[in-house]
Amino acid sequence: MPSFQLLDQSLVTGLLTGGLYGLLALGLSLSWGLLRLVNIGHFAIALLGAYLTWWMGTALGIAPWWAGIVIVAAFFLYGVGLHWVFMRFAVTEMASMLITFALAVIIESILQFIWTADFRRYETAWGSQSWIVGSLYVPKLSLIAFLVAAALATGTWAWLRYTYVGRALRACAEDAPIAAAFGINHRGLSFLLSGLCAAYAGVAGVFIALIATLAPSQIWTWVGVVFAVVIIGRLGNPLGALMGGILIGVCEAVTMAVVDPSWAPLVSFSVLIALLLFKPRWI
Amino acid sequence: MDLSRHRAALVAALAAAAILIVLPATSIPPYYIAFLYLIFFWIAMATSWTILSGFAGYWSFGHAAFFGTGVYTSATLATKFGWPFLATLPAAAALAATLGTGIGWIVFRLQRLRGELFALMTISVTFVVAAIISNTPIDGGSGVYLISVAMPEFFGSQDGTIYTLGLAFAAFSLGVAWWVYRSRMGLGLFAIHDDEDVAEVKGVPTFRYKLGAIALSSGIAGAVGGVYSIYVSYVTVGETFEITVIMYPVVMSIFGGSRHWLGPALGATIVTIALYGFPSGPEAALARGGIALGLILVVLLLPEGVMPSLMRWWRALAPRRLVPMPVLPQPLVPEPRKAETGAALAGQSVPVLECREVWKTFGGVQALKGVSLDVRQGEILGLVGPNGSGKSTLINVITGHFKLDRGSIVFDGAPIGDLPAHRVARLGIARSYQIPRPFNRLTVLDNVALAASFGDGRTEGEARRMAAHWLGYTGLARKAFEYPPKLNLHERKFLELARGLAARPRVLMLDEVLSGLNNTEIDEALTLIRDIRTRGTTIIFVEHLMRAVVALSDRVAVLNGGALIALGTPAETMRDSEVISVYLGKAHAS
Amino acid sequence: MITKTPSVSRRQVVAGIGGLALYAAARPAAAQAPSGTPIKIGQALALTGPFAQTGLVHKIVSEYYVDHLNKNGGLLGRQVQYILYDDQSKPDVSRTLYEKLLTADKVDLILAPYGTASILAAMGVAARYNKLFIQNTMGVPALAPYKMHFSALVSGPEPSVSLPNKILDCYATTGNPPKTIATVTSKFPSAEDMAKGMRTIAAKRGLKEVAFLEYQTGTLDYGPLAARIKEADPDYMFVGCLGVEGNQLLEALSKIGHAPKRHFYLYPSPLLASYGPANGATSLTNFEDVAPFTSSPEGAAFAKAFDAKAVEAKLPYPHVDSQAGNEYCGWQILVAAIDATKSFDDAKLADWLDKNSVDTLAGKRDFKGLNHTSSTDNQEIRQVQNARWVSVYPKETATPGVKLLAP
Repeated sequence: MPSFQLLDQSLVTGLLTGGLYGLLALGLSLSWGLLRLVNIGHFAIALLGAYLTWWMGTALGIAPWWAGIVIVAAFFLYGVGLHWVFMRFAVTEMASMLITFALAVIIESILQFIWTADFRRYETAWGSQSWIVGSLYVPKLSLIAFLVAAALATGTWAWLRYTYVGRALRACAEDAPIAAAFGINHRGLSFLLSGLCAAYAGVAGVFIALIATLAPSQIWTWVGVVFAVVIIGRLGNPLGALMGGILIGVCEAVTMAVVDPSWAPLVSFSVLIALLLFKPRWI
Repeated sequence: MDLSRHRAALVAALAAAAILIVLPATSIPPYYIAFLYLIFFWIAMATSWTILSGFAGYWSFGHAAFFGTGVYTSATLATKFGWPFLATLPAAAALAATLGTGIGWIVFRLQRLRGELFALMTISVTFVVAAIISNTPIDGGSGVYLISVAMPEFFGSQDGTIYTLGLAFAAFSLGVAWWVYRSRMGLGLFAIHDDEDVAEVKGVPTFRYKLGAIALSSGIAGAVGGVYSIYVSYVTVGETFEITVIMYPVVMSIFGGSRHWLGPALGATIVTIALYGFPSGPEAALARGGIALGLILVVLLLPEGVMPSLMRWWRALAPRRLVPMPVLPQPLVPEPRKAETGAALAGQSVPVLECREVWKTFGGVQALKGVSLDVRQGEILGLVGPNGSGKSTLINVITGHFKLDRGSIVFDGAPIGDLPAHRVARLGIARSYQIPRPFNRLTVLDNVALAASFGDGRTEGEARRMAAHWLGYTGLARKAFEYPPKLNLHERKFLELARGLAARPRVLMLDEVLSGLNNTEIDEALTLIRDIRTRGTTIIFVEHLMRAVVALSDRVAVLNGGALIALGTPAETMRDSEVISVYLGKAHAS
Repeated sequence: MITKTPSVSRRQVVAGIGGLALYAAARPAAAQAPSGTPIKIGQALALTGPFAQTGLVHKIVSEYYVDHLNKNGGLLGRQVQYILYDDQSKPDVSRTLYEKLLTADKVDLILAPYGTASILAAMGVAARYNKLFIQNTMGVPALAPYKMHFSALVSGPEPSVSLPNKILDCYATTGNPPKTIATVTSKFPSAEDMAKGMRTIAAKRGLKEVAFLEYQTGTLDYGPLAARIKEADPDYMFVGCLGVEGNQLLEALSKIGHAPKRHFYLYPSPLLASYGPANGATSLTNFEDVAPFTSSPEGAAFAKAFDAKAVEAKLPYPHVDSQAGNEYCGWQILVAAIDATKSFDDAKLADWLDKNSVDTLAGKRDFKGLNHTSSTDNQEIRQVQNARWVSVYPKETATPGVKLLAP
């Protein structure tokens, strides 16, 4: 039997990793749920953001928070541009998956061309530091990432729920023609949302740069688990994305701590399959 | 002339096949043989993916799971159990097909399974299968070595064997795709893609077809995986379940055109050559990016894929006078169904359809509260009631689209309440939709032929000839080769009617066929409906327009709040105080 | 630049005997300008995909080596034309590309690709055309039963036994050998093989196993693994990692305040050296950017050239290491056989290698072990000290002035 300390420590890291999953899932969930676009390229953008953060930090000496502001702004514009293409060519849900897959491959190629396939590590003095609470270690950066994820998820949720713009967006997702009949400017709003989703990928990218070691092919390591998180958290539901991330993060961590680390990847997909089977109307 | 072009194409295809078969025996550099194997491999993968996902529209991201099952079945049987390699291939196919069918058996039962849901389900299964193989003695993490597995040698080498197997499975997958594409099953799968509910109600056994499609699709992927295991001679979980194995069949099919049997093969050939044909050295990363950019352009500019554009170009290439104009088949005038001949003449008192105490609840809402109603042979029964009174629910329950909660429905003396919709359709109950729901990517002719084929059990040729008849009958003959989105509302309503008639139903339920039509069109429709009845079809006529109901119906049934409140001749029911209160408000009733 | 002097071993070079003289004794053909039709040598490497970071190292070495061959008279007076393809980290592509090299490009000689799966896929092709097949990255020699396969590694015939013993011997030199062991390994074939060997040997030598943990490639959160190791608190941790996994585990450990007492990493990214908490981490090596490896003129020249090219290629750890050294040795073995037999005939070359040994940059290579592996395990243990890899064991070949850091 694992000790309580092992279990508690695993719960902490699982929770914090779950926050990062949630942060990555946020933009994906919103664009899928509210724009009906499945953006596989989301991960590529996040990793691009991470590379840019690392590059600005190491080559130009720009602190990650300033880099983050630049990246978020630039990615917002990218999101708007991407959505313009989708609107211009009336891209369907399934076709959007293909196009963004190809975009991910292109971004992977560009990353490799510029920065080689080798690993990149953003070394900071405070990167590996932890707060010690009793016998538990809480990694500072992961905690900050978690808090940012929670703040963004809650903020987005409140925005969608309580503001006119947010409600209009949800109305469009339910029934675009009817919403249009009520005078909602669907096009304008969808550009805003698409930009926002890409900007969230930028935020995630800044944290990935600080927390993980970078390699171009890592675009693909996130795909499976984050998709599971998006579904478990319900499409288009920002708080759900966070909760789904936490659920998967904690389940994986507990499996690794209590059972066998090599079974951990099974967990998220077993949860997902069970959900799809027993609650098929969930998404 | 059209025939000779077809014949030329056939001869060319046969010649190409013959050359491919004997190719390993020639002095061609073996590299080309190995490269062709890669093309065959992806043709079989992409084509098998399309049989389910392209035709029926259920995108599978589980092809790597089926492929991987085949890889590990062959590897395990050949190494740990000493099976002769060729004997492992049927086992690989069978196990993969079992996995596929098992998944289908579970998920296709879910009502209104959405496409993305299926996609996610299959990708999840892929990861789960990979984790299981990796964590159990099947692989255990060390990979499986097939280096010492004995292989028969065709054309004097193992390469020849692998090539021949690759070619055989590519040809087999193309053959299966062609056969499905041309068969009733293909028509059914395309209909499922466009509108699964309507397909079921028109008589398509959707569950069975989807199951059949996933079994074929996964079985072929499994067999292909078996051959692949010996090709790489060392298999690992990481490489078998890689993201490219998941994505490439999808990419290739969409690229080539996933609604044509040959499209995926074309896509697979182009993409494989682009990916592997020009192995690049230093600029490898950029080359990959370039291919991805090409994919984006194709998806944006040719959303249907390369194949349809190529076909258009091929037709345009022929001299103008040779352009084959599609010719409507000679109409086949249907005889009445056997069972109805006697009864039709026997008068109007024989009940053909009886609803007894039918209950239906949605969530907390009781849509039908014990409706009992008999429909007599050869009558026109008007079914009226305000919005939300349960008319549509009743129709949906009778067609089997909704399961009833309590009560029974008897058709021709036999209970049909528990039958799936396609069985009800085959027994002779058809319906039209208030808002027309044609299969948008089938021609008008095929829309009607589908109903004849599945509702009336006609063979391909007969079904099309029957369809030609009903298109003529409803005045749509000129539009036979158009696609439904090009029709106006009036034409779409008549297409609904033609589809209903083509099934030669004993009972035809018309759901507000008149709404949205102008007066002339309404008169035209009424004449048509009377005519349909005189041919022996019983009609249930749901309508808001009272003038039409009174003019047309023999009897009128009035529903309100899920209950039947009146049933009788039009004159009787219109005098019923409850009916008047429902329609005109309480004040008028008193 | 290429030494081919079977009579002088590297150990002697290290001892400083005739270092410069050796350098001067260039290969015989060096004086003449190469002429005639070029000799074609083909190779496919993982230039894209998950193994691309390592593929790049091999590419740099191969291109450097060919360049120098040509500047020094080529091979038997003929210019060398090097054909390199990208196998996209996929064994099926690798197999097809070797087929292309041999039958479409008609290369005279081939060198193996990088990675066990790709090597095995390509070896089948080599076997069909009876081509000499020299590889330098396969961890499990028992898998290569082809008669013209030669391993450029000095891992011995059974590294999963010899390496674990070597590590424990190394730690025993401090007089305070570890008493408990935790084994953590990726479920990657060769890593798993080695981890299981470690487990068996540790048990035989009386170490108590406090944890045996396997994780999947692509694990994103190493926190729980780290927590389990911290709780087990082993004297010695064996990490069967690939690439950056070791860094991630170590980072997770340091985030929960655990510094491993002794820790060995199987195939780490060289980047590990630059990570602070990695000080004291050990690994195996055949070549590093420090003495004694760079004591020979050829070693020094290679290290210098590689480091320059690595900076140019923007590698994050721009220093030559074992990975690069082994590729270099692979080339040296091929060239030595050609020079000795005066032939490009695969059968003759294989026959010569079967009977002889080759002195390479990283020591003597013989092929007397199982499947033409080396007869003994001559790998060395390296350790991260002050952000650089240095050789610490065996003593005779250790970097001068360096001592093993261990409790």
